[in-house]
Order: sequence, then structure tokens, then C-alpha cells
Amino acid sequence: MPITFEKLSHEYHPDTPFAYLALDGIDLSIAEGKMTAIIGSTGSGKSTLVQHLNALLLPSGGSVTVLDRTITAGDKPKQLKELRKRVGLVFQFPEYQLFEETVAQDIAFGPKNFGMSEEEALAKAREMLAFVGLEESHLERSPFELSGGQKRRVAIAGILAMDPDVLVLDEPAAGLDPQGAKEMMSLFVKLNREYHKTVLIVTHDMEHVLRYCDDVVVVDHGHIVQTADTATFFRDTELLHQLRINPPAVIRLREALCANGFVLSDQLLEMEELAAAVAQAVKHHE
Amino acid sequence: MNNIALGRYIPLNSPIHHLDPRTKIIGLILMMIAIFIPAGWFGYLLVGTAVFILTLLAKLKLSFLWRSMKPMLFMLVFLLVINLFIVREGDLWFSIGPFPIYSGAVFQTLYIVVRLMLMIVLTTVLTATTKPLELTLGIEDLLGPLKVIHVPAHEIAMMISIALRFIPTLIEETQRIMKAQASRGVDLEEGSFKEKVMAILSLIVPLFVSAFQHADDLANAMEARGYVPDQLRTRYKQLVMRGVDFLTLAVAVVLMVALIMMAWVL
Repeated sequence: MPITFEKLSHEYHPDTPFAYLALDGIDLSIAEGKMTAIIGSTGSGKSTLVQHLNALLLPSGGSVTVLDRTITAGDKPKQLKELRKRVGLVFQFPEYQLFEETVAQDIAFGPKNFGMSEEEALAKAREMLAFVGLEESHLERSPFELSGGQKRRVAIAGILAMDPDVLVLDEPAAGLDPQGAKEMMSLFVKLNREYHKTVLIVTHDMEHVLRYCDDVVVVDHGHIVQTADTATFFRDTELLHQLRINPPAVIRLREALCANGFVLSDQLLEMEELAAAVAQAVKHHE
Repeated sequence: MNNIALGRYIPLNSPIHHLDPRTKIIGLILMMIAIFIPAGWFGYLLVGTAVFILTLLAKLKLSFLWRSMKPMLFMLVFLLVINLFIVREGDLWFSIGPFPIYSGAVFQTLYIVVRLMLMIVLTTVLTATTKPLELTLGIEDLLGPLKVIHVPAHEIAMMISIALRFIPTLIEETQRIMKAQASRGVDLEEGSFKEKVMAILSLIVPLFVSAFQHADDLANAMEARGYVPDQLRTRYKQLVMRGVDFLTLAVAVVLMVALIMMAWVL
């Protein structure tokens, strides 16, 4: 278990009229080497939760353990660099964090901060730029000349260049076109499957959750309401309705078919499988 | 960053919150004049009591006022020290090393400190009880008569309100970028001089980029909705002076006149 939360709570602006309890008694374990989706409506506490993973936010109560490092409420931890190097956090709209003169310099910024030499860092930048699917000719360009989608790739490359063990992404596909979003998600799948990184993704897109993620964590009003593997999670249609989550198209279609007299297994989570099952049912009926 | 108290609006339900912003602005000016009239200790006692009652009426906590004063503490101490050593009036009381301390210096320093503190509390009462938008409406109305001599009252008010509106946005943005860069290993506290310069650059460049982006978007949004600066505009929220407002102003005027009389007698 590389990541565990124990009775973790977080309060913003304590002791002021603006005090707000964003997380309340979070008990959670996230499995190593998996791709986990963190879902929940806006303001549910997802972003607050993930910012505890590299100690950008410190717990107001309880504790969080990430990769053998435990941070308990009331600690004033020093030497966070090690943790921040090993847990790469990509914020929402990371393209706003670019600042260097060239793309290469910007990607190399993180590794250099964590003690890599200039040459190594630039070599890493070259490698990561290719990994996120941009041409090498972009290396010497200013990041501000790039398009929005390219900027985001560069920003993500900047985090990947740190070679973190755990990668946390806050809505990495928000605002991208469907094709760009798909490519982006495939990138993270590759990191997870081939490079064995633990990946956490905050997302609103249920299609992405169903297609790419192993586990699902549901946050609601500062509490964890569900942790399950993806298939189990999407089978519990009752809970989905209760959470006002719009299920993926496959499940909506299956439900509509079932409501009209079809008898279909709730194990069906792939469009092709569903189509085959429907075809068989029709044939059988005839 | 989160603890900035200076100039922050505190949503409470107090009689001061419900006053017309114009009343509060004029009242503030009158009280400021009163503070600057040298009417001796009794005068300060009078103004001080008035300010104290005002904070009670506004339901503001002492801890909040104290936090608003904190950023100014350094300046206060600085003035205090400079004055103590430089002013050479009255009787010689004692010396600290080679520096003689005169009675006049002590009194004058105390006057300055009391004045500054009263001013800070007063302005805090204004900003804490008045929404930024109401404040700009008030300023616009008060500047209104100056339109005759071509003072762009509306434009000034609009600029102030946009500036005020974007303070929290920019603070939020700064925090966000700080966190994003901290995730990339930026450490604003430790590190060599070169690293610190780099750290500040990594914060300032994205902040400027996004500030310009915001300005651009806002300008487009305003134009798209047909905003023309010097056109006559109607308002949804009309400012109305009520009985309480006139009463408040009357009290402020009486206070100021009383202090002028006291200074006269002295």
C-alpha cells in the first residue's frame, strides 16, 4: 500500500469566519501500480485530497502515508523535496505553469530542481517530449508560441521528467478535444502498464473511468462514499443514480434495453460484448 | 497569504454594514480630519471612544482589527524610533547611550502612533463593512459633480472596481502557481540566491501571462456586451440615503467641530 489516509481531515482558513472543512475523516488506501480514478462533483474535496499526496497541503487532523513517508496533523515537515520528486502532481490546466524561454528548459526545470545536472535534464527533456508525442523541433521554441493542447503536453512532460513513482493528475483531459483527450489518457495508461507507475486521475468523464481505470474512489462532501474496482462500481446503478453520476453510454444503453424487456448480464461493460449479447438475444427470440 | 485581513470585506449583519457607502466614505473623511486636529489627549480620548463604539457597532472582532494592523506594525515601530531620537523639544528626560530623549519627543511619538492606529482601524471598518462594489458605487456618486470639469468619474470607479474584483483572483492564481511550481521542486524558503531568483521568476512569469489573459478576456466580454465607457448607464442597485445616514453624518460633523473647538481653546 503506497498510499494510505487515516482519519484525515482538512480545514481551510481555520479560526476565521471563512473556515471550511473540506475533508472530514478520510480513511482510504490506494493500491500500488494501479490506475485509480477519483471522482466526485465540484467542491467535493477531490483536489484538496490529492494535494495531500505531495504535502502541498498538510492535514488538519489524521495522517497520510505516501511511499513510506507519514505526515501527521500538527507536523511541520522538512525535506519535502524527496517526496515531491517521487509524487508527481499535475494540476488542472498545467499549461499555466510554463515560464521558461524554451520548451527544453521548461521540461528540464523540475529535474534540475531535484538535483539532476543540466545535460542529464536536457536529455530527459528530449526523451519526455517525444513520449508525450511532440516533435523534437519544438524543443527550442518558446512554450508561449504553442497551442493550448501542446502547452499541456509540455507541462505534463515537465512532471514526467522528474521520473516520479506516483503520478497524480487533476483533470488532465479537461478542455481538450475528444481525440486529444483520448491520446492523453492513452499516455497515462502506457505509463501505468509499461512503466509501472501508480497513477491517480481526478476526472469527471465516466467513459474515461470505465475504459482506462482499474479502481474508483468517490468523494462527496469531504467524505469517501465508495471505493471499488471499476467493474463493480459501474454495476451498482443504484449508487450511480444516487450520486447523480451519468453512467457511460454502454451502461445507459444496457439499462434502456433491460427496461424494454431484454435480459442482459450486468457484467457487460464493453460495447462489442453488449452488441453480441443483444444479437444473440434477438436470434434466440426468433 | 490566506491571512490577509487588510481591506477584506467581512459579511456580517450590523448597522454599519447597512449604511449607505457614501455616508461611510464622507464619515471616514470627517473622522480623519478629526484625528489630524491637534486637540491634546482629551481630543484623542474623544475620537478614540468614537472609533471604539464604531467597531462595536460594526461587530468586528478585536483579533481581526489586530491582524489588519499587523502589516503596518513595522512602519509604526520605525516611525516611533526615528521620532524618539530626532525630536528635541521639551525637557530632557534621560539618554539612551549617546542619544538624549526629550519629553516632547515622547509625546509627539505617542501622538503619531495613536493617530496611525486610529486611521488604520477606521479604514478597516470601512472596507470590512462595505462590499467592494458598493464602495465603488459610492465613489462614483461622490465624484459625480466633478464630471462638470471633465473628471471621468464613471471610468475611475470602473477601474477601481475591476482592480478590487481581481485582487482575490490574482491571490488565488498566485497560490495555484506556487503549488504547481512547488510540485516541480521549487522551494521559496531554502536554496541559494540563484535558485531563489529562479523560484521567483517561475512564479512571476506565469502570473503576468495569466493577468494579461484575464485583462484580454474581460475587455472582450465587456465589448461583447456593448460597454461604452462614457455612455449614460442605469443601475440595478440604487443608493438611497436614509435617516440613519443623515444621523451618522451629523454625529461625524459634530465630532469634527467639537475637536476644532477644543484645538481652538488650547
